[in-house]
Amino acid sequence: MYILNNFEYFAPETRSEALELAKKLGSKAKILAGGTDLIIQLKEKMITTENIINISGVDEFKGISCEPGKGAVIGACTKIADIEYSEALRKKYPALSFAAGEIGGPQVRSMATLGGNSCHSSPAAETPSPLSALGAIVVISSKSGDREVPIEEFILGNRKNVLAEGEIVTKFVLPEPAPKSANRYAYIGLRNAMEIDAVNMAVNLVLENDGETIKAIKLVMGSVFPRPLISEKIPALLIGKKLNDELVEQAAEVAQSEAKPITDVRASAEYRRDVVATLTRRLLKEAYAAAKEA
Amino acid sequence: MKTQLIELNINDQIYEIPITPVDLLVDVLRKKVGFTGTKKGCGQGDCGACTVLIDGKTALACITLAIACQGKKITTIEGVANKDGSLHPIQQSFVEHGAVQCGFCSPGMILSSKALLDSNPSPSELEVKRALSGNMCRCTGYILILEAVHAAAEKMAQAGVK
Repeated sequence: MYILNNFEYFAPETRSEALELAKKLGSKAKILAGGTDLIIQLKEKMITTENIINISGVDEFKGISCEPGKGAVIGACTKIADIEYSEALRKKYPALSFAAGEIGGPQVRSMATLGGNSCHSSPAAETPSPLSALGAIVVISSKSGDREVPIEEFILGNRKNVLAEGEIVTKFVLPEPAPKSANRYAYIGLRNAMEIDAVNMAVNLVLENDGETIKAIKLVMGSVFPRPLISEKIPALLIGKKLNDELVEQAAEVAQSEAKPITDVRASAEYRRDVVATLTRRLLKEAYAAAKEA
Repeated sequence: MKTQLIELNINDQIYEIPITPVDLLVDVLRKKVGFTGTKKGCGQGDCGACTVLIDGKTALACITLAIACQGKKITTIEGVANKDGSLHPIQQSFVEHGAVQCGFCSPGMILSSKALLDSNPSPSELEVKRALSGNMCRCTGYILILEAVHAAAEKMAQAGVK
């Protein structure tokens, strides 16, 4: 019955209690939010810890604020299911809502949190790709104050991030989508449910006032690099142009040239490269069409 | 390992249970309280056999710390039937449609179905499939399970059951 290593358990109820505990226990503690990654890692003996700080009872770390014209602020302990079902988020950030709805199964989504998905820093994580495409900022809190880091600088590599001792991710801040813009997410996995993405991708595309010329674009690939990979060549290729079939093909090729996938249990590198091209074509067409309607 | 006494609300009854912080909800339910209807399958949160409801939402008891469930309302399969002992319409429908084969996945399937129908009384086919997508049936009896959930939804709507 005692599968997990012996640890002390703390369940702070307020932000200041949580930050105090995080400071006091430092690297001797792991932060528990939903537990869908942490408890499995403990059971598998991939990690051990002397202390667990369960922050899921801290109300200040939860909730979605998404008002017209004001972007969104999402508490780190907000459940993935709450993001999936938020009408306000779905309207502004369909890429994030869709990604949230495709994580694991219903049980996982009602347990897991947005903060956990980024803090686990799996290269195959679903939400960091759309968060990055949308320009999300991670707010990291500690006893000495808050600091803000763009999501793509937060995740450093496979299960590595910039969190220092005593720090807790407390919220995500998303800028208001630009006028005439659209954001979309797509992925390929082995099944529809309870799988981990073989490749995922998010795009945020902004058009000029003419409703046809691409003003800005951010395309982010997941599961093809140790951290979310932001394409540098796609903006260089597409900004200032009107999308056509030829450009879509060129974009698929340049995205493929940037992806550095590996072969693992979920897919071969070769297959992943093919998928990168497919998802690039699909998302560009979808986002362009949606931005024209916006 | 330090044992402590905690209170858990399971099926609307308060239990005082000696636990350690590392005890998982599935083990506490099965071995300390005796609710063996909650099954332990993969133990990694993949198969859904250990599904319970926590505050009305589905959760995986094999990756949930029991100590973290204090102050919450836990529902296991033992708490689904009506007070007089008769089966809940979802359970009855599973029996009538042959949706129970070996029975190992049934508690999880029924609780996932209950969470769905409690919040969405007339789900579409896709909504039922999505709601059950975290529950594996090794007998592969999915078709009959889906039929049972749809039939239960219809019956409950007619009877006005909540």
